[in-house]
Amino acid sequence: MWACVAFVLLWIRSAGCTEKANMSKRIEYTAADFYERLLSGKMMFLYFEQQVSPTISLFLVELEKSAEALQDYGVLVGKVSCQKEPIQTYCAEAKQQHTAFLFRGGREFTSFSLDTVFDVNSIVAEVLFAILGDEVKYVHTDADLLAMEKAAKGKKDIVLSYVRSLGTEEHRALMETAYVYGSKYQFILITGGPVLKQLRVNESPQLSRVWFLHCRVHSTSLTPVTPVTSERCPLTQMRKALSTLNLHTFLQLLEAPLVSDVYVDPSSVPPPQSPYQLTPQVFLFSHPATVHLDLDTATTLAWRLRGLAMLLLVHRQSPAVKTPEKYNAAYRLPEKSSEVKYLTLHSLDDVLELFTKQEEEEEEEDHVDEEEDSHLGELDDEVAAAVHKNRGHFQDMDSVTQLTSDNFHAEVAQSSLTVALFYLKWDAVSMHFLSSFIEVAERLEDSQVDDVHMCVVDCGEWTDLCAAQPGSAVPFRPIAAFPSVLLIRPQQSAQHYRGMLTGEALHCFIMMSRMASPVPLSTEEEVTSFLQEAPHPDLATYRPDRILGLIRTASQPGLSVFTEAAKSLRGEVLTGLLTDGLVEKWAAEYAADPPAVLLFPSWRNPTVRPSLLLVDSSSKELLARIYSALLPPVVCGYLSVLPLQDLFLYNRLAFKGQKTVFVGTALQKQT
Amino acid sequence: MEPNLLCFILSTLFGLALTSFNQHLHNGTRHYNYCVLGAGPAGLQMGFFLSKANRDYIILERNSGPGSFFNKYPRHRKLISINKIHTGRWNREFNLRHDWNSLLSDNPDLLFRKVSGEFYPPADAFPLYLSTFVRELGLKVQYGVDVGRVRSVQSAAGRSYILTDQHAADYSCSVLLVATGLWVPQEVEFAGSDLVEGYESISTNPDDYKGQAVLILGKGNSAFETAQSILGRASRVHMLSSSPVRLAWQTHYVGDLRAVNNELLDTYQLKSLDGLVEAHLEDIVIAKQEERGRRRSGGKKGETRAKLFLGLQKFRQAGDERNTSDVSPEELPGHHIDNFPLRRPYDRVIRCLGFRFNFSIFDSSARPPHSHNAKGRLPGVTAWYEGKNTPGLFLLGTASHSRDYRGSAGGFVHGFRYTARAVHRLLEHRYHGNPWPSTRLMTTQLTSWILKRVGEASGPYQMFEVLGDVILLQGSHCEYIEEFLLQALPRFASLSGHEVSSHGLIVVVMQYGKKKIDYLGRGRAETDWTKAWKSNFLHPVLYYYDSLPTEQDMKMRPHGWPLPRPKAIHHMVEDFLTEWDGPLSHIQPLRRFLEHCVQTDLRAFSAETCFRSALTHRRSQLSCQQGYLNQRGVQRYGQLTRGVYEAGLVPAEQVSAGTSTGASPAFPNYLAPAGASVSSGLKLDL
Repeated sequence: MWACVAFVLLWIRSAGCTEKANMSKRIEYTAADFYERLLSGKMMFLYFEQQVSPTISLFLVELEKSAEALQDYGVLVGKVSCQKEPIQTYCAEAKQQHTAFLFRGGREFTSFSLDTVFDVNSIVAEVLFAILGDEVKYVHTDADLLAMEKAAKGKKDIVLSYVRSLGTEEHRALMETAYVYGSKYQFILITGGPVLKQLRVNESPQLSRVWFLHCRVHSTSLTPVTPVTSERCPLTQMRKALSTLNLHTFLQLLEAPLVSDVYVDPSSVPPPQSPYQLTPQVFLFSHPATVHLDLDTATTLAWRLRGLAMLLLVHRQSPAVKTPEKYNAAYRLPEKSSEVKYLTLHSLDDVLELFTKQEEEEEEEDHVDEEEDSHLGELDDEVAAAVHKNRGHFQDMDSVTQLTSDNFHAEVAQSSLTVALFYLKWDAVSMHFLSSFIEVAERLEDSQVDDVHMCVVDCGEWTDLCAAQPGSAVPFRPIAAFPSVLLIRPQQSAQHYRGMLTGEALHCFIMMSRMASPVPLSTEEEVTSFLQEAPHPDLATYRPDRILGLIRTASQPGLSVFTEAAKSLRGEVLTGLLTDGLVEKWAAEYAADPPAVLLFPSWRNPTVRPSLLLVDSSSKELLARIYSALLPPVVCGYLSVLPLQDLFLYNRLAFKGQKTVFVGTALQKQT
Repeated sequence: MEPNLLCFILSTLFGLALTSFNQHLHNGTRHYNYCVLGAGPAGLQMGFFLSKANRDYIILERNSGPGSFFNKYPRHRKLISINKIHTGRWNREFNLRHDWNSLLSDNPDLLFRKVSGEFYPPADAFPLYLSTFVRELGLKVQYGVDVGRVRSVQSAAGRSYILTDQHAADYSCSVLLVATGLWVPQEVEFAGSDLVEGYESISTNPDDYKGQAVLILGKGNSAFETAQSILGRASRVHMLSSSPVRLAWQTHYVGDLRAVNNELLDTYQLKSLDGLVEAHLEDIVIAKQEERGRRRSGGKKGETRAKLFLGLQKFRQAGDERNTSDVSPEELPGHHIDNFPLRRPYDRVIRCLGFRFNFSIFDSSARPPHSHNAKGRLPGVTAWYEGKNTPGLFLLGTASHSRDYRGSAGGFVHGFRYTARAVHRLLEHRYHGNPWPSTRLMTTQLTSWILKRVGEASGPYQMFEVLGDVILLQGSHCEYIEEFLLQALPRFASLSGHEVSSHGLIVVVMQYGKKKIDYLGRGRAETDWTKAWKSNFLHPVLYYYDSLPTEQDMKMRPHGWPLPRPKAIHHMVEDFLTEWDGPLSHIQPLRRFLEHCVQTDLRAFSAETCFRSALTHRRSQLSCQQGYLNQRGVQRYGQLTRGVYEAGLVPAEQVSAGTSTGASPAFPNYLAPAGASVSSGLKLDL
């Protein structure tokens, strides 16, 4: 049986192939075919091919394409080769070479010059226009239109359209729609001029447009938009571009009830169903007391939103309506998200503005998309794009001091710790971090940390300060990477902040930096507090790495190595230095031979035995070993659940410690 | 290593030579490593660099003070070099772009504004400024030494130059830096040239020209300056030279006629008895004749003044060797052409043809050749300002202008202060083994750094198309060398002491557009970055080479180009404010160009994006490597624009938009996506 199916499938496939290959043959008809079909009264759009010139062959390609399109409308498209099948009537004259013929009811219905039927769109549009005859009318003056409106009043609605030029895709879209809806609506085609003026279209270049004239409804009370006095039908303009799909949707939408009543909360109203799925919903709320007034308001608004959005009136008396009283309207946009947005309106115009504005935006977007590459005006760097998007907001620099070549020394001398951000205005990362930096400055100010002086240096302006050569009075080397944060203490060389460029990390670093490094610890209480208490209430949730130095006497060489290492660790790791008496006690307890270092990594429970490191001959080596010892072990599977923040830390330590990480080590993390 | 070693040997030899010389002061000859001839702006500028580097140098000056040229010139005592004090900026480097008089020093207050606040300062302020410069920096200047002879001697220790002054005292110099300027008036020989007064000696009192008809030879700034001063007194001012007047604001060359001097153009075109005429000066004849049959109405005490007639060589009777002061009426052009423009006689003819270099003091062993351009008035020099055929002899200042004559600003203080610095850097490398100063940058910082330089740097801005920044690409890092001499690029490695790696190099140059347009007309400015290559105003251009161009490449470069055709070129669109920091118009196209050159994604990413890419790619983006993975990630910011990262594939056109190439190459895709091997389907032949 499967073989059968396969065979059938294959057959269909191959049939499909031959079908395509024979396309050009398929539209060719013999004289016999022609007469037979003519007699049957079928609609035929035929071209009699006498001689093939380049223009003609181009037309033939288009003719072929239109065959499929017109098939749906019951029109047979084809050509007859005069050389093979000389049909007297149509093959004799040379001028027939430039003419295509439409046959209907067994006779020649009309003919088209090839100048008007030059491609698929124009063929379909012209043929349908010919077939539709009276169903689509031309109107030239406003008086004609008025007459049409009068005639249609109470009977039919009118679809009035202006097509920029005939034979275009827009023309075709209109004709295709007219074919479908021709019996339901009166279609009118205008060609510009006075009628357009009457419709108050005066933009240039004029785009193809469609208006819906509500002539069927009798009650003028429902039409507050246009003055009731006029005998004209109220009209709704289609705001989207003229295409078959848009026109179809638009007509469908106008068929929808003006206002629908709902008794549930807007959030539980389902998004509109086909064919309205692309239409926004607007919800207004109604109180039992004002139900008539509310309905009037809703109707008024609905009229104004016709073709734009659907209006739903939510009755508040229903217990299912949960929307807070402070909101009097809500809306849901299609596509973007099906979330309902609530708002408080003061006038109907607000709603209207909401949709017309959004539409304009859409239009603009469309416009950009149309222009060959939409990426041209976009930044593809996420940081730069974010900064660029935010460009309207000027940074409030009040909480930071701007350092210049002139005030640098005076400002730096003022405080025990100056944190300076060196930035370039055109560097997106700099500007991005600048706002975080300012936030940190504000936060420090708020928590009354007054021993830290937060400063910024615009290196685009104070180039001589940022590029100050070594040997000049500044305590840092020329800045060649932006942004750079330097921690400057009077009479010391500056310390580079090498942490994450986030406010949180910087804040933490600054707070930790305020602690001495190392902290001299002379009593057990001090040690306990050093090991267990947060260095500052602001850092209560943060668990820093801690290091204790066990060094006997001040004269021991290990001391300078350790203090130097502690200095570089300042801000990242808390370091403590035990003084003489305690050293022996702790050394005995942990079987350490001073000079040594005890490590209390943040990831390990502080009550667990610390790791022990002997003090090396150089602080650089000691630092490397401290970094690698502070690394948390990692196992497979751990990565996937590892919080981002931990990974930063992990990476940081991994890179600093230059340690190869073996995934698969036993997980020692506390459970 | 090889060149370094060579340098070392050279400098050791050099040092040995110096010490041996210093030890023996034979025949009262004093020896210096560096002699600077002339204490004008160029000489003092070089003096500062030598003094800063603690070199053994002397500046020799024949007058009793610095900048003596400016004691006399310009004759009408107004400098036309801009002294713009109020720029609205604090950036000292940027402010130098608009300060045409100051010399470079480490002292930020030692600027010309100290002596004058005027936009066009009085000429007397300049020597004053120079003496302040000498005093404050303690430069070693020896005044009153009039060097009359310069010769070179070749010894085992190398070549040196012997300068002999007016007292026959000798100065021996290993390196001679000639900064004597141009001060010998340029003259043209023609029949009757002896009847002509020179700019150097004319009266500057306008009243002396009352009612006189004056013919000025020359159409430069000195000619127009003279014309301008007498416009209100003279009856007629005509100006004659071979070429039509060139306006500085059209040619972008500050040596052409500046608008500050061009009042005569107004009076000419507003039909006010003045005018400009073109003729070859070699072809003219000036003849003196008593005006016949008329008496000057204003003649005092019956004094008659001889009138000067302008004739043409072709109307002179053949073989006529008579005194030019006596010309028959038949020999005057007016006799043959009744509407000859200059048929009316003049009271004065003034020569304002500029100045030329004084070649006469140079012995044939030390004489630089005449330049090919500038009518041979200037010495010919190499691309690094060493005299051709005279190794160890460099030309500085106005005398070095033959390299960029009628082009850039090398003949003017605001230009040659930078070329002097370049020459000094070259000397430091050649004789002392110090490579050119450079800045090592992370490649991710390169965009910002280039923006910083094009936004503020004064050297490449003033010396456009002559000096440019060279960036040596080295993978994740690069070496940034400022203000190298573009024409010497083929010798970059040997002159600067920096090696070019296989990653290639980028040269950042400031350029004007090459198209002649209506400089005040509509559409003169290009604002669309995708058409940046059409920029007309000064704008940065980046040239990318995968290896150093050769001398041959340099010789064969397209006409008007400062550099040979590169592998890829990028124009940053001209900017009205000369601030190239627009995220869309300047930064992003630049970044994309650099990405193409370094074959790496140079975008900045937030920590989240880096995290994601670190988990999905073998190698992360450079900015993540140098940032996030080095624990310097950037926080994500509100809602970042949707899927910028995902929108990695960018149409090629935009990336190469600033790149003037017809065939848009299939460029980054997005470049080297992390972990992927670099695609080599990249060919950017122009």
